[in-house]
Amino acid sequence: MTNLIEMSHISKAFGGSKALHSVSLDLKAGSVHALMGENGAGKSTLMKILAGVHQRDSGEIFMNGEKLDLKSPRDALEAGISTVFQEHSLLPNLSIAENMFLGREPTTRFGSIDYRAMSSQTAKALGELGLTLDPSQLVSNLTIAERQFVEIAHCIQADASVLILDEPTAALNAADVDVLNRNIRRLRDKGKAVVYISHRMEEIFALCDTVTVLKDGALVGTRMVSEITIDELIAMMVGRELQDLFPERMGEKGDEMLRVESLKITETSQPLSLTLHKGEIVALAGLEGQGQQRFLRSLIGRYHPFAGTISINGKALRMPLSASAGVRHLQKLKVGFVPEDRKEEGLFLALPIAHNIAIGLHSRRPELAPARPYRNVIARMMEVMNIKAAGPSAPVGSLSGGNQQKVLLGRYLAADLDLLLVEEPTRGVDIGAKSEIYHLLRDFTRKGGAVLVLSRETIELIGLCDRIYVVHDDTIVAEMPAAQATEHKILDAALMGTAARQH
Amino acid sequence: MAAVLANPIARRLLRIPPSYFVFLVLLATLWIARPNMLNLNVMGIFIRQIVPLGILVLGQLVVMRVKSIDLSGGGIILLINYFISSGSFPGASLPFFVGLALATGLVIGLFNGFMVGSRRVSAVIVTLAVSIILVGLVQFLSSGNPPGDVPKLFNDLYNTKFLSVPTPVLFWILLTAAVSLLLSQTVFGRYVASVGENAEAAHFSGVPVQRTVILAHTLAGLIAAIAALVQTGSIAVGSVRVGLDLPILAVAATILGGVVFGRGDGGVWGPFFGALCFALLFVVMTVLGIDEPGKLIAQGVIILGAAIFYGVRVRAP
Amino acid sequence: MYRSLFNILSGRHTRQGLWGLPLLVALVISLWLTVQTTEFATAENLFNLVAQAMPLIIAAIGQLVVVLIGGLDLSVGSVISFTTAVLALDQPAILLIPAVFVLAAFIGLINGLAITRFNVHPIIATLSTQYIVLGITRILRPVSGGTVPEIVIGAVSGSFLGIPYPVFWGIVVILAAWKLLYGSRYGLHLFAIGGGIASGAESAARNFGVSDRRNIILAYVICSCFAAVAGVFLAGRIVSGDPNVGLLFELDTVTAVALGGTQLSGGIGSLHGTVIGALVMALLANGMNLANVSPFVQTAIKGGILLAVVGLQSRKKMGL
Repeated sequence: MTNLIEMSHISKAFGGSKALHSVSLDLKAGSVHALMGENGAGKSTLMKILAGVHQRDSGEIFMNGEKLDLKSPRDALEAGISTVFQEHSLLPNLSIAENMFLGREPTTRFGSIDYRAMSSQTAKALGELGLTLDPSQLVSNLTIAERQFVEIAHCIQADASVLILDEPTAALNAADVDVLNRNIRRLRDKGKAVVYISHRMEEIFALCDTVTVLKDGALVGTRMVSEITIDELIAMMVGRELQDLFPERMGEKGDEMLRVESLKITETSQPLSLTLHKGEIVALAGLEGQGQQRFLRSLIGRYHPFAGTISINGKALRMPLSASAGVRHLQKLKVGFVPEDRKEEGLFLALPIAHNIAIGLHSRRPELAPARPYRNVIARMMEVMNIKAAGPSAPVGSLSGGNQQKVLLGRYLAADLDLLLVEEPTRGVDIGAKSEIYHLLRDFTRKGGAVLVLSRETIELIGLCDRIYVVHDDTIVAEMPAAQATEHKILDAALMGTAARQH
Repeated sequence: MAAVLANPIARRLLRIPPSYFVFLVLLATLWIARPNMLNLNVMGIFIRQIVPLGILVLGQLVVMRVKSIDLSGGGIILLINYFISSGSFPGASLPFFVGLALATGLVIGLFNGFMVGSRRVSAVIVTLAVSIILVGLVQFLSSGNPPGDVPKLFNDLYNTKFLSVPTPVLFWILLTAAVSLLLSQTVFGRYVASVGENAEAAHFSGVPVQRTVILAHTLAGLIAAIAALVQTGSIAVGSVRVGLDLPILAVAATILGGVVFGRGDGGVWGPFFGALCFALLFVVMTVLGIDEPGKLIAQGVIILGAAIFYGVRVRAP
Repeated sequence: MYRSLFNILSGRHTRQGLWGLPLLVALVISLWLTVQTTEFATAENLFNLVAQAMPLIIAAIGQLVVVLIGGLDLSVGSVISFTTAVLALDQPAILLIPAVFVLAAFIGLINGLAITRFNVHPIIATLSTQYIVLGITRILRPVSGGTVPEIVIGAVSGSFLGIPYPVFWGIVVILAAWKLLYGSRYGLHLFAIGGGIASGAESAARNFGVSDRRNIILAYVICSCFAAVAGVFLAGRIVSGDPNVGLLFELDTVTAVALGGTQLSGGIGSLHGTVIGALVMALLANGMNLANVSPFVQTAIKGGILLAVVGLQSRKKMGL
């Protein structure tokens, strides 16, 4: 049987960094094929290439033996490749039927849209999934689960032969998952190929027949699900060397600085508790989107948790913090928040390095105070952090990723803070700069500071931190000293979630 | 086109605000058409006429730097002009009028700032609506109590000179310097630059974003009040139409001066020359026989041209 | 039953926006005026009211098309004035009437291109076109006057079976707008583009193959053309060209649209809401006239209404 889809030696690079190295993947008709790997392994990129969203740099794609050239999402749709991405693409102010047929609406003789035909065809497609939703209902009135089903129905309606599902069960409860699985099996029996990107071990073992593992943009291997165990699967996903980038960990820890008790991030999540002491670098590890960011951002008022207390230096914070004043409130308590996206949320790209660093100092003073040039502080920061630039007046946008990240951190390191909440300290940063950043963070704690860091690079957290909390499903499922942690252990806890806790 | 933009010399030239070039071109045109007008006395009078606009430009550029806009300046000027010339406050002194004007500008500016910064309403709609309310209010009050003579004190002050430069012009230059100092040397100036460049990043750096926007609009209101005081000095009798087209001219001068929404490349002196450009433009147009409608068309073309120019420039790599 | 009535009026389960409230307001005002004055509930006054309201209704419908995609057209007032000025040029109607539409379409094209191709903010683009068109209008017609073609005058004054022509204008325009917004694929695509823009995913509609650029430009062209229609109607009513007749129309149309429940952020709104909103403003004007409220105060009140209505809508981003 020829493969329905053959992706052969696909490579893709974004800017300077390579996302995929010569990855090959075959999809057979009538199969449910799992695609696994840690965040950043390349799963989304590979599937986006198949869906026509990105263009491959090299390699070929074949469908039923014929070469495919997918230049746009429309090309993929016309070839019969349909995708349901995590970022929902339905228009909220249009009805289900209108969304289903957008761009190809059937018309009557007078040029009007034939709503009756649209409605009945939509109802039929929804019916195939066992849904009884009213096709004329607005998408904005649907629950997230219902929206997901509508998107899948859209794919079915478009008569796709390949269905790509990216984390389809992220927002579904157990009953919905059953419905989804039933329908996926039905599609498989009809001869479709379903690609199932997920971290949920139970589902993968229950539903899929084949699994492909990617790691750091390369193919690790493809196996039949019936011939592999969970442990072997995890072993395929990890196994990196701990490089010599990291400074030595500190032995002692000082007074308690941050205490979180029984915090519920969502209404239905398990309460979480953690502590942080002076001199410690503590990690929030786990797969992306499990609640680490929601937790961290609830400390600055961007999310409002449902219960629990947060104390800094022994004093409880008055919850809920306001979204607009949360950062400043924490700043007064000598806590700084370093956002993840340095380009959109962190840096002033058109403004000089000096401004970017000094703004943390300026923001503590009253408006009419003269703005001190802080030349010494800036010069010292640039030297200590080894920021390579033409001078302090160079616009930050002209620097490399690593140097930009250092400038961002420099703002907080210069601001005389005690506690740093850091999201993704080395995203998009070269190896050399990474090591420098690790040393800077350790120096910060040596002087009595504390750092709570969030990162999707597990190996980074193991090397850098003193203690690791593993987050899954909006709560903490494991805690371990970094010295005893391994990628395998962390991923195990992260994937198995509550099951792991029972061990 | 892209190749031209990539040339380093062209790049340097593009960074200079257009107002300087336009100023030179207009100066040259005037020198060719009517060289005898280019003396200190005559130019002094023409520039003095533009001082209310120049002052309003200062407020407009602060507000535009935080990605907002203020079109209520005309209404503020009209209202204050009415207060002063209508005789509603008989026997009031100059300090009283100054205080009243500043209070009016402060209150209106605060309101604008609150609506734009806290309620996040569209700045154009809010400030335009406020302007309409103010204009309607003044016209209504005028029908009952028409504006009369402006107290002589105002005219006298307006007509003085210092070292043969009209006082209002000197005042304008001093005020411009003050705003320049505010924006470049104070923490508030850093806040404005940050909010305009990237409001999210400003928020995460601890900059009080909402408060900065509110203050920017309040400042613009105060500055409009100052412009109103100067404007009142330039006319002998109150009017129901004074100053209404100034805010949009201020936008044009500011954009010409290199200050586009969120950016401050032109600083404070780019828009200063932008206002001077309009002074010259009106002279040149009068000399060439183009009148009122031509002014409107010029305004529109300048704003649109500058906006397209900056739109294109942002996109070029 | 009550819940479905509430749902209908609040527009929560549709994308029509909150049009029930302005309808209620319109009914209350009408009732109050009927009770308080003897002149209101007469056929003469009501027909007069419709004729007075017609330019606003027409122009507001045009504004609706642009607001639905999250934009704004501040040049409509100047297009209206310009149209009356062109019609007053004392030339044969067969020449002038097509000319005004070509010119209006051209203005809309400039707006649309500036916004889509050159990334100019809709407010800045249409504000500058407003001044350019206003300037041209004042050159064409510095003071009101001129001769409007007979056929235009005749089309707005006179009646058929006792119903004055303006009512028919309204019916035709509303039917055409209905067809455009609800009876064509383009109308749905407008809502789709607006829905994407309102929720921040600007290119959401593009993923479905709906070309947002061309549709947006077309929206501004349509808006200007509706403004031209309003201008033709007005020219027939005032029997002259007037450079000032369109002043304040831009804010009035935005107020009418917003009053009718349309969200200025895009994607949510309705034709009937806009018509109701325009009627509410006409009713207010009529009532205030009957109560001898000064026209200046009326202007101020209109500004206040705009502030209130706009202040109650919520937006994601701050600023322009």
